[in-house]
Amino acid sequence: MKVNPVYKLETKVSTRSFRFPMVIFAFNTVLSLVALLNMYSVITQVKRTAEIQYSSFINLYIFVAIMEFTLLLFIIPAITAGSISGERERQTLELTLTTKMSPTDIVLGKLFASLSTIFLLIVSSFPVLSLSFVYGGVMVKDILLLLVCYGVTGLLTGSIGIFCSACFKKSTIATAASYCLTVVIMAGTVAVNHLVFLFSQISSAEGGRGSGIFFYLLLANPVSIFRTALNSQMGREPGMAGIFPWLSQMPDNVITEYWMVFGVLVQIVISVLLLRMAVRKVEPCKRKRRF
Amino acid sequence: MLKIDNLKKKYGQSIALDGLSMNVEDGNLYGFVGPNGAGKTTTIKIITGLLLPDSGLVTIDDIDVTREPGRIREKIGYVPDFFGIYDNLKVSEYMEFFASCYGLYGLNARRRCMMLLEQVRLSEKTDFYVEGLSRGMKQRLSLARALIHNPSLLIMDEPTAGLDPRTRLEFRQILKELREQKKTILISSHILPELSEVCTDIGIVDQGRVVLEGAMDDILNQINVSSPLVISIKGSQDVAIGILRDHPNVETITIQQEDIMVTFNGDRQEEIMLLQQLVDAEVMVYGFMREKGSLESVFMEITNHSEERLVLIHEG
Repeated sequence: MKVNPVYKLETKVSTRSFRFPMVIFAFNTVLSLVALLNMYSVITQVKRTAEIQYSSFINLYIFVAIMEFTLLLFIIPAITAGSISGERERQTLELTLTTKMSPTDIVLGKLFASLSTIFLLIVSSFPVLSLSFVYGGVMVKDILLLLVCYGVTGLLTGSIGIFCSACFKKSTIATAASYCLTVVIMAGTVAVNHLVFLFSQISSAEGGRGSGIFFYLLLANPVSIFRTALNSQMGREPGMAGIFPWLSQMPDNVITEYWMVFGVLVQIVISVLLLRMAVRKVEPCKRKRRF
Repeated sequence: MLKIDNLKKKYGQSIALDGLSMNVEDGNLYGFVGPNGAGKTTTIKIITGLLLPDSGLVTIDDIDVTREPGRIREKIGYVPDFFGIYDNLKVSEYMEFFASCYGLYGLNARRRCMMLLEQVRLSEKTDFYVEGLSRGMKQRLSLARALIHNPSLLIMDEPTAGLDPRTRLEFRQILKELREQKKTILISSHILPELSEVCTDIGIVDQGRVVLEGAMDDILNQINVSSPLVISIKGSQDVAIGILRDHPNVETITIQQEDIMVTFNGDRQEEIMLLQQLVDAEVMVYGFMREKGSLESVFMEITNHSEERLVLIHEG
């Protein structure tokens, strides 16, 4: 089977640098510390009160999952935002473009190389995640569902990074832009919903009914998918309804019933669109239609 | 092989190419010369598909480079004026990466890479990291990389810039070997003596147009023919000037102290006969030679945009 040459080169070169093992080490150190601190607090509580709260063991799983999700959101733009712009800065992109490699091959090679790194990070965190199995209450299918969330989040944020990298010539600007775009998607979609809800509260005599159609913007937000996955595993009511009341006023239809499925699909579509735009940006000669 | 017809390209208000046309035939080593900003790199980028022209036609083996860039990439090998930075990559891995970019894999690819590395005298450096190579080695590696897929046309942009004389000599030797293999090569350079040594054809570009193009031998002959004869005479010059005035191949005569500068449009045989004529007329000739013409002088003359130009004095 012929492997994408760019993917093969990227994985070979990145694993030779000191940065790669340092990222894995730092990632797992933070996760392990979170896990150990949680366990320490549980044990301290038990010693003090002689009371075992079994829900605190589930909290270990939630803390580690949230921490891992947050770390991925920080790490992925840093890995991907320099992929294309870095090649431009090192003057290697033009040379690759004169070969038989198409811009699509190059972009996909970069994407798969980044996803491989992300996959490696996630797999390396399995020992920490598996601590949850010691206490029970978490099943293998829950972990697999979590992996799907991480995978889709990695794909979306990785695509954002690659798109910004293709748009900007400097890696520093591409990195900043990809973080900004990630924040816009994560926080911006929530902010829009909240603002619309507040306006509807002010303007309507009976009080507003949620954020209306803007609620579906959250399908593009990886946090909403992650939250849905965790809540379905923990069997909890949406915990953020106190902060965002419109969350408890979401419409009742097939989309909200299968929120995670639709969310994954929407995020995959957004990723594909971003990658297509990145390919167009990398294309050296943007051809106009000739009639 | 390569045909460029009326190529035009503007960067904003600045005209980079203003109707550039040129022809590179199969098996030729074409020297592409011009001052900075003449349009050489822009032309090369258009040929390699890295830039779209505003208008004009570029074809390689009758394939339009703008309409079928995929087919063109199989036919060209490109050696840019920069190497690029490849961290943590060995020479053999560098070659195998580009081989795979052209669809070459496995044992065939490795054999081809080794053969090319031997050809450019880098076979002992296969396990060295690319960033540790000298500039000259990197250029040779770049050449080997460009030849991996056996392209029909090799395009080289300032390949010997920044290299020491010994390395440039080695590089010229490699180019001569490629020329003997009937490879078609387009080479852009500022180092004119090297071009006159290796190139079969030359094109001088200035302000976005080719101002002089032709076979190297023809151009060098023209230079030699157009350079003045310098005749050094002892004693009275009147007899010599009389002979020269009546000679059908003499165009202009300029007197500089004991030297007579003559624009003579005859060939070598006619020069010898002129000298014989002067000796037979008992003119004391102690020097008789063509002023050494060069590609640089032609280049300077053609690309000189100054108001003051050298004027030949005609007496007679």
